[in-house]
Amino acid sequence: MIETLEALLLTPLTDYGFMRRALVAGLALSLAVPSLGVFLMLRGMSLMGDAMAHAILPGVALGFLLAGISLPAMSLGGVLSGLVVAGLAGGVSQMTGHREDSAMASFYLISLAAGVLLVSLGGSSVDLTHVLFGSILAVDSGALLLIATVCSVTVLLLALMFRALVVECLDPLFLRGQGVRHGLIHGLFLGLVVLNLTAGFQTLGTLMAVGLMMLPATAARFWSKRLEGLIGLAVLIAMLASTGGLLLSYHFGLPSGPCIILLAGIAYLFSALCGRHHSLLARLRRTATPPESSAEEDQSTSQEGTT
Amino acid sequence: MARLKLEDVQLAQGGRRVLEHLTGSFPDGAITALIGANGAGKSTLIQAIMGLLPPVAGRITCSVPRERRAWLPQQLALDLSFPMSVEELVMTGTWPSHGALAGYCAPHYRKARQIMMRLGISHLAHRPLGELSGGQRQRALLGRTLMQEAELLLLDEPFANVDSETVEVLTDVLRDMADQGTTIIVVLHDLEQLGRLAGCVLLLAGGRGHWSTPQAILERYGKPQGVQTSLPPLDLRGATP
Repeated sequence: MIETLEALLLTPLTDYGFMRRALVAGLALSLAVPSLGVFLMLRGMSLMGDAMAHAILPGVALGFLLAGISLPAMSLGGVLSGLVVAGLAGGVSQMTGHREDSAMASFYLISLAAGVLLVSLGGSSVDLTHVLFGSILAVDSGALLLIATVCSVTVLLLALMFRALVVECLDPLFLRGQGVRHGLIHGLFLGLVVLNLTAGFQTLGTLMAVGLMMLPATAARFWSKRLEGLIGLAVLIAMLASTGGLLLSYHFGLPSGPCIILLAGIAYLFSALCGRHHSLLARLRRTATPPESSAEEDQSTSQEGTT
Repeated sequence: MARLKLEDVQLAQGGRRVLEHLTGSFPDGAITALIGANGAGKSTLIQAIMGLLPPVAGRITCSVPRERRAWLPQQLALDLSFPMSVEELVMTGTWPSHGALAGYCAPHYRKARQIMMRLGISHLAHRPLGELSGGQRQRALLGRTLMQEAELLLLDEPFANVDSETVEVLTDVLRDMADQGTTIIVVLHDLEQLGRLAGCVLLLAGGRGHWSTPQAILERYGKPQGVQTSLPPLDLRGATP
């Protein structure tokens, strides 16, 4: 029994260096990316991550065309094109007064088309698949270093701007009233999103990287009502999905990105069905046992509080 | 000299002129009610005072430092599904002066507890905002401005959608703040509140501002039906017949 478990869980890691590197990369991403996802979700920008992932494509493709499969070139290109799209969308929405999501949708579609065109100009469909869906085989030490650096910077920066982010989600005018420039925090945050999506594309691919960002966050929402709880749980789910997904892809010869994301997706579906808050099960349970009237309780305790 | 002065201020919103030739000063340590019909420019003026909207012409002089200017928006403007507890919201009031990076220390927590006690929301300290009633939320939001030790406080319809007990608590706290020297400007729709709360009135109508007193406003507009038809467009929601 123990031997089978060992063969299933440990041997791939002890025997193959690329599996170890992929695991470390996955865990590092799982530490940073889901926290960004939690904030995206709370800001009502769940689809923004997806748009940004498409936006980095032409940069990645351009890097690929100029330097081949070179992680620094592709990453740099990705970050630049992501920032350009985010900047343009923000600028246009501020200038015209239109909502940012419409500008973002327009620019990311342009960006996506340009990216696909660039890839098909210079490479085969195999290359396109690689860029879109990633490959764990591609994670070498250099890539690992890049991912680890991006994730560390993200965690540190998030800690620094945590309160500002929280206030901006809740009451943006409070922050503006205090003289924090409109869009500063928002811009920094989007910059981090772009950076992390670029870091994730090597293992997961540009499109799949968003999955590790959003799914753990949306799943965690069914379990916790506190921000710290949401972030902690999302990170945990992401780590489990990364590890499990890698092992699945190893044993069954499947692509790693979709495996990881599908596991996170299963976590989301399970949470939606059985989670503690707002899930199907929680709803059924509530209709079965009507809650005691909490309003009356509040009334009496509030009077105690005032006296 | 008053902390907040308007000198021939002209304000525009989206290219449309909203207010012009607005002159006068808001008295320190008093509650000034800002009234006027929907679209008369109340929110525009508040934004300008907060420094979010530069005047097209004229000057707004405010000697209160930024971190002592507090702003309590309408609840609708806030995302109250955000996972944050009452205590955490109240504690955010320390950020402007204390910095968003520094940790909270024991005196902050003590002060937050006192404030929540005064507002009658101690028992809700660890409840998420999303589970509160409108009145309880409004108290928590006022708690944030108390934590901020505001010298200039702007409120946008603080009595909308709150229970009568909360109205009492809010009125008391606001009066106390004014007595301690805070300059308070409150956007009101409800003429009943006007008489009880405000010491001074700025009525916005037809793109101009008219300074007045609550008594004068109530005498002109606060009377029962019939008078309303001959009035300038003033929203009389909630006025007692």
